[in-house]
Amino acid sequence: MTAMVEPRPRTGVFGLSEGAIAKLAAGLIILALWEIGCRAFAPAYVAKPIGILLAIPDTISSAKFLDAAWSTLWAVVRGLIVALILGTAVGLTMGRKPIVERALRYYVNGLYAMPMVAVLPLVTLWFGYTNEARMATIVFAAFFAIAINAADGARAVPPEYIEVARSFRARWDNIWLGIALPASLPYLLAGVRLAAGRALIGCIVAEFFISLEGLGFYILFNSRTFNHNAALVAVLLLAAFGVGVEALINWATRRYLPWYRRGERGE
Amino acid sequence: MTAGIRLRRVAVPAASLIAGALLWEIIGRNTSPAFMVPFSVTVAKLAGLVRSGEFMAALAQSLALFTSGFLLAVVTAVPLGVLFARVRLLRIGLESYVTMLYATPMAALIPFILSLFGFDFGAKILVVFLFAFFPILYNTVEGARSVRPELIEVARAFRSNEWGVWRDVLIPHTLPFALTGVRQGIGRGLVGMVTAEFFLSASGIGRLIIVSERDFDTAGVLASVLLITLLGVLLMAIGRALENRYAAWRGLDR
Repeated sequence: MTAMVEPRPRTGVFGLSEGAIAKLAAGLIILALWEIGCRAFAPAYVAKPIGILLAIPDTISSAKFLDAAWSTLWAVVRGLIVALILGTAVGLTMGRKPIVERALRYYVNGLYAMPMVAVLPLVTLWFGYTNEARMATIVFAAFFAIAINAADGARAVPPEYIEVARSFRARWDNIWLGIALPASLPYLLAGVRLAAGRALIGCIVAEFFISLEGLGFYILFNSRTFNHNAALVAVLLLAAFGVGVEALINWATRRYLPWYRRGERGE
Repeated sequence: MTAGIRLRRVAVPAASLIAGALLWEIIGRNTSPAFMVPFSVTVAKLAGLVRSGEFMAALAQSLALFTSGFLLAVVTAVPLGVLFARVRLLRIGLESYVTMLYATPMAALIPFILSLFGFDFGAKILVVFLFAFFPILYNTVEGARSVRPELIEVARAFRSNEWGVWRDVLIPHTLPFALTGVRQGIGRGLVGMVTAEFFLSASGIGRLIIVSERDFDTAGVLASVLLITLLGVLLMAIGRALENRYAAWRGLDR
């Protein structure tokens, strides 16, 4: 009862706080419901928590899984880096130069709104059923989210900064790299977070479509051969990657952009 | 002066769109038709699809799928998120799991859906639902976090009944966040729609794309992709308009 009256107890105050207990309990309840529900109503091959847990050691020590995981995650990271460089360049230019913004607005917004998996057949027509097709899908999926956010960021740079820099005769690279880029970092990070999710989806769907080695195909193959436990271990890894990017970006925002608190988690 | 600015505001995008179409036309004319076809051929193909009624049938199928899955996601995720604002312990217990599932690429679950539920319409609705549900819930929970418990306490102190608390405190606070989620959910739901149409039973615009690709009918692929882009732009514009309409509430006594 005292805990209820206490306004917002923070984690770690009572050793195991109310929040941690609630999280743990909720997690256990979810897992128990999954286990019991599947045992009662679903066919035997459906993955259940205990089965998945038991499948983890075998799966993560198999070369097949490791190759697939490396292939997918490395492709996503490389694609994200390419998209980040291109997207930042295009986005910052759009944000700083109204004429570029007007010229590219419809393309960027249109292609961003387009469900990216729809380009897969087109990409396979252009690149064939290859690794390059997957890479193109990843870059395409990630690029527009980053460009749009970078443009928003560059537009949000206080004009006084630029004016002061100009009146001190700053060179263009000082204005772009020294002012526009750092000032739009919070937006850029938000863009990367969005882009990472899209890139991951793009990559998996591309692997389904092209039957390319990777986690997506690993999941497809193992679920078709009724090896659902191993397939779900791969899903867990993908989820961990997604959560990891999310956590990394939150951490980076707090660590390096402590002044940027708006909209971030916490109270 | 203002006329000049207005002219530039219209002229630059128009010139850029025309330049894009021209570029497309030139590339299309100078490469093999298996790679790219000219803009004019694509438009002609699109017109043909519209005239034959094939396009309308595909669009109707796709939209039926999208709307069922998406609306199901809205009517389950939004009330659940608002409930999180009311029952704090529920929110604290579950929000990290919501974040986790929000970050999980739902596309990875498609093979399981395929093997559990097969190819029917219900399975495809489930895919759209899964894609759209977590962004909506995640953002609504974000809103639930912004509801200060004091506000609910004050409302109760003034003898507000349960419905009053929901109407005057919970819903106004969470709605703007929920609508951000709805906008994200539209985008992801569309991805789910196309993915379901590709990998479960082929139907709608997804089928149009796949069939054209198998026939090496590049014009057909480009025309359907153009179509789906227009659909995406239209639906996203609706989402954005909804979000902006209630965005002003976000600052509510903060």
